[in-house]
This record gives sequence, C-alpha cells and structure tokens, in this order.
Amino acid sequence: MTELLDDFMLRALLAGLIMVAIAAPMGCLMVWQRLAFLSDTLGHAAVLGVGLGLLLQVKPIFGVLAVALVIVFSLSRVSSFNSALSETTLAIISHTGLAGGIILVGLLPGPGVNLEAILFGDLLATTRGDLLNLLLTTALLVVLLLRHWRAFVAVSVSREIAQAEGIEVRRVQFLMYVMIALLVAVMMKVMGVLLIAAMLVIPTSSARLFSRSPEQMVLISGLYGLAALAGGMTGSFHFDWQTGPAIVVSATLMLLLTLAVTRVFKPRLD
Amino acid sequence: MPAELLLRADNISYSQGGRLILDSISFELRRGEITTIIGPNGAGKSTLTNIVNGLIDKHSGVIERSPGLRIGYLPQKVYVNTLMPLSVERLLRLTRKSSDEEIDHALTQSEVGHLRRRQVGSLSEGELKRVLLARTTLGKPDLLVLDEPTAGVDVSGEVRMYQLIGELRQQLQCAVLLVSHDLHLVMSQTDQVLCLNQHLCCSGLPESVSRHPEYLALFGPQASESIAVYAHHHDHEHDVAAAPEAHRHD
Repeated sequence: MTELLDDFMLRALLAGLIMVAIAAPMGCLMVWQRLAFLSDTLGHAAVLGVGLGLLLQVKPIFGVLAVALVIVFSLSRVSSFNSALSETTLAIISHTGLAGGIILVGLLPGPGVNLEAILFGDLLATTRGDLLNLLLTTALLVVLLLRHWRAFVAVSVSREIAQAEGIEVRRVQFLMYVMIALLVAVMMKVMGVLLIAAMLVIPTSSARLFSRSPEQMVLISGLYGLAALAGGMTGSFHFDWQTGPAIVVSATLMLLLTLAVTRVFKPRLD
Repeated sequence: MPAELLLRADNISYSQGGRLILDSISFELRRGEITTIIGPNGAGKSTLTNIVNGLIDKHSGVIERSPGLRIGYLPQKVYVNTLMPLSVERLLRLTRKSSDEEIDHALTQSEVGHLRRRQVGSLSEGELKRVLLARTTLGKPDLLVLDEPTAGVDVSGEVRMYQLIGELRQQLQCAVLLVSHDLHLVMSQTDQVLCLNQHLCCSGLPESVSRHPEYLALFGPQASESIAVYAHHHDHEHDVAAAPEAHRHD
C-alpha cells in the first residue's frame, strides 16, 4: 500500500484532495466572518516564516506557523469586539512580512531557496512528510470544526446576539484565528503563499450562488474545490501549467460559468 | 410584595477614549416590569443596554444579575450576514433546540409565520426585527433587552410591536428593558422610566418623570402632554417611590 505513495502524482492528488476537504468548511467560515483577508495576510507573512525557519535551521513549516501565531495573537489583542480586523493593519503586516521574508531568504547562504515554490506552491513536489502534516492538521481542524460548529455559525450570523446568549465570542474568534494560522501553514506547500486565499474564497463564492443553508454551502464549496483541483491538475499534467495557478484559474472559470448559468435560470433564492 | 429582583445596577460609569459616556447610573429590573430608557441621541442608551446584557464589561460599578438569568437581546441595528445562506427557521434554531411547534408559535405570535422558509438575507428590516424578536422568546428569557425595537418598522407596525412586547411580558413573565424614542407609544405600558443623558436625569413612574424639570428641559412640554394622555394602569404594587428620584444635579 505504502509503495503506492512513491508515485508523485498520487501524492499530489491525495494532498490536493485533503486540501479541498478542509478548505471548504474553513473557507466558508472565513467568508462568513469576513476573514478572507486574514488568510491572505498570513500567507504573505509566511514568507518571513520560511526565511526565519531557514535561518534558525528548523523546518520552514515551523517558522511559518510561529509567525502566523504571533500575528493572530497580536491581532486578537488589538481588535475590539465589534469591529472587524482593520484592512490597513492587515495590509501593513501582509506586505512587510512578504518584503522582509524575501530579503531574508535572499541573504541566506547556501543553495538558494526556490522562491517560486514558496510563492505559488508546488503540488507535484509533495513529499510523504508534507502529506502527513496536511493529514494530521486537517484531522485536528475537522475535530475542532465539529466540536464548535454551532458556535462558529452563531458568531458568524451576529456577534452581538451570540454574546448575549452566552457564547464567548472572543474565545471563539481567537480559536478561529489559530485554526486559520494552522491551515495557512499546511496549505502553503500545496498552493503557495500567494494563492492560499484564492482556494478559500473562490469555490465558496460559487457555492454561495445557490446554496440555502450553511452546511449546504460547505458541501457545494467542496465539490467546486474538487472540480478546480481536477481541472488544475489536468492542465498541469498535460500542458505543463504550474499546478497552483492552474487550480485557481479553473476555480475562477467555474465561478464565471456558474454566474452565467444562474443568470439564465435565475433560481429563487428567497 | 415587590416583584422578584432580576438585575441590579449599582453606580455604573463607563468612559470610552477618555470621554465619559455613563456617569454613576443605578437602577433595578424586576420580573414582569417594563423599564423604558429614554434620552436624546448620544445619551448612552445603547451603551447602557450593552452593559446590562454583558456585551460591555469594562465599566466601573457593579451589575448584579440573579443566578442563571437568561437574557434575550434584540440589537438596534441588526447586521445581517448575507454572505451566509440561512433560512428564518435555521436562524431560530441557531443556538438552541426548539420543536417545530415552538418555532411556529413564536413566529406566528410575532406575525411572521409566513416567513419561516424564507432566506434571512431577503427580509426587510421590519420583518427581520420581528423574526429576531420571535427568536429571543424561544430562549424563554427572564429579561428581554430591546434596543429601539421599532427602528425600521412602519407606523402601524410600531403600535403592534409595543402590543406584542406587552403580550410577551405577560406570557414569559419576564422583565423588559426597552430603549425607545417613541415616548407617547411606550409610556402606557411602562412601569419605570429611566431618563438618561449620560447621567440619570430622573427615574420613576412615567407620570412623575414627565413632570420632572430635567425631563422637560430635555424633551419640552409637548412630550409631557403626550405621556399624560395615557392613563397608567397598575396591576401590581410598586415599591418605587411615586415621586421621581432625582439623581445628581450638577
């Protein structure tokens, strides 16, 4: 069985499938809570994490996770209960992290780092170790999602009402931030830091067009993610496109197609 | 016998960004009573309700809630997350398990039974207010906190909304804390008025508050007349002094 994993294409496919499975619920929650920009920020700042990881000679994923956690800890301290995270603050962190990371990576001695793989991902280079990281993190996230789903949905609908009804909104929100940090750290390898947010937002937007309940939206996002993965990997395999960007572009093509179809058929959404 | 004490606010003050928003506010909320907060814009009415329902906790002074107090809260501005597909029925089941009958009853009582299968994002502001009011009743609250429940509701709806609040008080045997601008509509049912302008200008029964100099200074004599038109019916005894208590005149 394990020798099957020797096939790089199979490892890539498995990594893609796991990513799609966890990107659907996480992506929906992030869109509902307007946190899509946070994943983008953590993604960009992950380059700094990669640089720090290399500098300290630990695995890059630990550097990325450390940077992401520092950012979400700080953000949860400064953000007030009512307001969403400030776009300006996020943009500053995002681009400073990216710029600092690129300088750091450039200064490091030894064989150069493949910056392109960091930025855009390299699904086809997924190792057994990557696969294990992805699997374990996804398992943890799924457990947390199942345990706290009701609270996550309630907080997404209205923080005020959830808080008044006894849900500890700040704790739920903080848990959410930490989960996003974990997700970004493991998705980086597959999608690249610049494209993580795309995988969380685009299939979700397609699903929103005709789903009628939160869970339905998660399920349909998963199907769109799956289709984007299939499209991207096919493009990558047959036409030698870069895998991450190919997945994103197929996701967007499907969103446009869905938009066109729903325009024509106009399903009643009320 | 005074009704059961549900919440006591003692000497509550709150500042934000160095600006004093609430100054030494004290009051009590009792089961079965409707308390109405009135006051001009920026008087701190919403801040006070948020302190009562626990959304704001960085205040000075003490809020004593009776143990296990269940609060149902209807915010003034309801931000509807249209990014999430959500039916009215699901909205009602968001944080608690309710039977089909309970949901039907709550929606019908708020006169929005026909909206059960609609998506929340497609509701008008007034419809949403009623749906959310129905939702708060499902939690069988001891205290209903309603921040301007008629904002966004049309005029005929306003009268009905206040009737409904009166019905809910009877049915749930709960206390109601109401923020309102519609002085003349609210006063007929109110047991206690808190006239707020950063500090508590005066409080007590509607008739007595309406004669208080600080109230007149804030709202003018017409407002006083509009209250006086409505007779106030007592269905239980108050231990609140009939004369308005004056607080801090500085």
